[in-house]
Amino acid sequence: MTRKRFHGLKRVKFRMTWNKYNLYNLSRLTPTKKGVSTFFQQKWASKSATRAYHGEQIREKQWQRMFTSRLNAVIPMDYKYLAEHDGSEFAAGRGSGKDQDPSHRQRQPQQIPYMAMTYAPMERRLDVAIFRALFASSVRQARQFVTHGNAKVNGKKMPYPGYLLNPGDMFQVEPERVLFATGKEKPQSQIAEGRDLRKKKRAINVRRHETRKAARGAAAKKAANKPATAKAEKQSTMPQKLAGEDLFELEIRKQRRADMQELIKQVTSIMDNKKSAPGAKKKQELRAIVKDIRSTMASIKRKPLDELEASVADLVSRLSTTSGNHKPSPKKRSTSESESTAPPTDESSSLASAEKKMEKKVQKARNSLMIKRQNQVDESKPYATPWQPRDYMSAFAFIPRYLEVNQKICSAVYLRHPVARPGYGEVPTPFHPDQSQLAFNWYLRRR
Amino acid sequence: MPPTLRCATSTSRCVRELCKASQSLRSFSTTPRCDQRTTRARRAMWRWLQQQGANLRDPLEGGTNYLGAYNKDGKLLRVMRAERNQESERAVEQSEPKNAERDPDAKQAGVKVPEETVSDRIPFPLNRNFISEPVLSENFREEIWYRIMKLGHSVREVSAELGVEMSRVGAVVRLKEVEFEWKRIGKPLVVPYANAVMSMLPKTDYNPEEKDPKRRRPHESINDLPVHASTAQQIFYPTSESREFSRADAAKVFNERLKPADDRIPHPQLVLQHREKFVERLTDQEIAERAREREAIAEKKQHRAAMIQLSKDAKTKKIESGRWEFRFTDANVDAAGKDGRGHKGVGWRYGVPHYDRNRGLIKIPKTVGA
Repeated sequence: MTRKRFHGLKRVKFRMTWNKYNLYNLSRLTPTKKGVSTFFQQKWASKSATRAYHGEQIREKQWQRMFTSRLNAVIPMDYKYLAEHDGSEFAAGRGSGKDQDPSHRQRQPQQIPYMAMTYAPMERRLDVAIFRALFASSVRQARQFVTHGNAKVNGKKMPYPGYLLNPGDMFQVEPERVLFATGKEKPQSQIAEGRDLRKKKRAINVRRHETRKAARGAAAKKAANKPATAKAEKQSTMPQKLAGEDLFELEIRKQRRADMQELIKQVTSIMDNKKSAPGAKKKQELRAIVKDIRSTMASIKRKPLDELEASVADLVSRLSTTSGNHKPSPKKRSTSESESTAPPTDESSSLASAEKKMEKKVQKARNSLMIKRQNQVDESKPYATPWQPRDYMSAFAFIPRYLEVNQKICSAVYLRHPVARPGYGEVPTPFHPDQSQLAFNWYLRRR
Repeated sequence: MPPTLRCATSTSRCVRELCKASQSLRSFSTTPRCDQRTTRARRAMWRWLQQQGANLRDPLEGGTNYLGAYNKDGKLLRVMRAERNQESERAVEQSEPKNAERDPDAKQAGVKVPEETVSDRIPFPLNRNFISEPVLSENFREEIWYRIMKLGHSVREVSAELGVEMSRVGAVVRLKEVEFEWKRIGKPLVVPYANAVMSMLPKTDYNPEEKDPKRRRPHESINDLPVHASTAQQIFYPTSESREFSRADAAKVFNERLKPADDRIPHPQLVLQHREKFVERLTDQEIAERAREREAIAEKKQHRAAMIQLSKDAKTKKIESGRWEFRFTDANVDAAGKDGRGHKGVGWRYGVPHYDRNRGLIKIPKTVGA
C-alpha cells in the first residue's frame, strides 16, 4: 500500500503545519456527521480526525498513556465579591438564594468547554510547545529542531522532543533555525549565488586542510625525533584554558568569531568597491587589518576574554578610521541600557575611569557589529534575505496564554498547564466541541 | 515494477492536455507524468488559494488575519458589517433629501478596514471557544521589567497593579534579562522576526493615560480559582435553616482539607484589603496592625521552611564539576531489611528487579534544573 499523503485533498485531515494545502483543508473542515452513523463510528471518525492534528507525530500508545480524564479548569473570581459576600447568600430565602428581579437578571455564566481540553497533555510536549510559540512552521519541523540539538530547556541542550515541560521551564530555539522555519523561500537568484559562495568556500577549505595536514605531518616528525622527557615537559606547560570554561564563555567566544567574520566581510566589500576604489596606501592598511583579524580568529579559543574583547574593539576602531566614511551607527538605546551603564563620576580614580572608557569602547564596538549582523542580504543563509515572514503565516499566528514568548531571543517560558475557563478553552484545537467530546469518549473507553 | 505510462495511449484528450500543461520542467524526473496530473481537487484548491486564500497570504495591515474573520467568499466580515451599517445610515439619509454628492466619499470610507473585534480573532472557524488572545506588547514588557528590577516592586504587587498573572510577570523579567545579556555580549537579536510576529498578533498595550475603560481592560484575569477535583461532585447536605452556611463551610463539606475560595485564589491579599477597608471599615491604624500580624506569621512559616531545607542540605554532600553536580547522601546497608528486599535499600540486590528499563516508564529527563 502506498503511503497516504500528509496534506491530502481527498481525505480532509487538518495538521499542525502552516502549509497552504493545510489552510485550504481548514476551510473545508466539517464537524462529524451525526445522523447517519453509529455512535462507535462517530467516535472513531472523531478520534481519527483529532489525532491527525494533535500529536500526529507520536504513536497511539504513547498518547494513550498520556491521556487523562481529569481536565483542568479555572473560574475567574472577583475579589470585591469575595470580600463583600461570604457565600451564605446562596442559601438565603427558601434555601436556594433569593429570587432576582427579572429585569436586572445577570447574564448566565458561559459554559466551560471542558471537552476542548481533551488533548491538553499533548501541549506539554517540547516539540508542540515550540510550534505553539511560533518558532517552527510545523510540529515535525519543531521535532527535528529538537532532535538535531537546536533546542534548549533552562539553558541546557534537550534532544528529546517528548520532554514534558514543567511550569516555569524556559525553552530556546537557535535563532537561525527559527528564521529558516518562518522565513520566505529563497528566490532562484539567491540560490544560485549561494551555491557559488559554497563552492568558493569549499575550495578554500580544501586548500587549508592540505596545508594543515602537511604542517601536522612535519610537527609529528619533529616530535618523534625529540626525547620523551621534553615532550612531557612541554605538555605540562600547555595552557589548560578550556577545561573549566563554562558554556556561557563559549557562547561569547562564538559571538566574537561571528563579529570577526562580519569585519572581514566589511573589509572585502571596501576592497571590491569599484565605484570608489581605495588607494594603494589604504589597501595596505586594510590588508594589515585583515591579517590581524585572522590572527585573532586563530587564537579565539585560547585568549583570555578581556583581551579578546579589547582586540575586537581595537580592530573595529582601526577599520572605521581607515575606511573613513564611518558614521556612528544610529543607536536606539532602551531605558534599561542607559541606566545599566552609568556615566563615569569625577571622583573615581583615573585607573577606574580608563577601565570604564575601555569598557564603553568595547560595548560600542559590539553594538555596531551587532546591528551590522542583523537582517542583511546574505546568500549563504537557507532563507530569503533580508528576512520576511513566509506566506500564509498570519493565518496561523497566535500564541496561547500558557506560554510567554520573547521573540527577540527566540525563547519562551511554559507558564502553566493549559486550562479551560468559562467560554474559552486554552488548547488550540480546530475541531468542533462535539467532535472533541466524541474523541474524549473514545479514549475514556479503556479507563 | 515501474508504473505504467497510461497517459500517452488510453486517456482522453482533455486529460492528456492537462498532463502536458503540468509537465515538469525537469525532464529527468522519474515520476510518471500521469501522477503529476492536475486533479479536480487540486484545481479547486488553487482556485481557492487565488480567490479566498489570497487574503491570507500576507498579514493584514494593523491587525490579525485569521480564517475566522472571513466569510465563505473571502470577504472580511467586519467590513461587510460596516458596509451594512453604512447602507442603513444612507437609507435614513436618503429618506431625508440631503447632499447627494457625499456618496462617493462614503464609499471610500467603507474601503477602510474597521477595527477588529473578538469575533475576528478566531483562527479555527469550527471551534469558537478558541480565541487568539492578546500578548503583552513590547513597552508593556519593558514596564514590567522596570518595575521589578529598577523600582524593586514585588511580583505580587506588579501583578495586581497591571493585571498580569504572577507567573507571567516572572517570565517576562526572566526573558528580558536574557535579552539584555545577549545585548551585552553582542549576540544579535532577531528583530525582524520579532517585529513581523508582533504585527500579526493582537496586543495589550501599556498606556496609563488611556481614558477609555474598554481599552484599559487588564491583560488577563489574575484571580483564577482552580476547579478542585473534590468540588466536581454534587452533595446533598442538610443543615439547619438558622445556620449561616458560608463558603468555608461548603468547602469543608466537599473535602475536610479544602480551603475556601478566598484562600485558594492567587491574590488573597486583595480580598483582605477590600474587606478591611470597605466592609469592616477599619481605621488605617488597625489595618496596619493586622498587616503586621499577618507578616509575622508568614515570616515564621518561611523561617521554619528554611530550617527544614537547611537540615536536608546538611545531610547531602555536593560536589560541583563543570557539567554535573554530584550529590552524595548517606546510605545504610541495613535499610534493605532482613530479607534484603526492603524498598529503601540501595544498589543492586540479588533477585530484586530494576524497574528503570520497564516498558511505559519515562526514560528521558522529567525535569531540567534552572
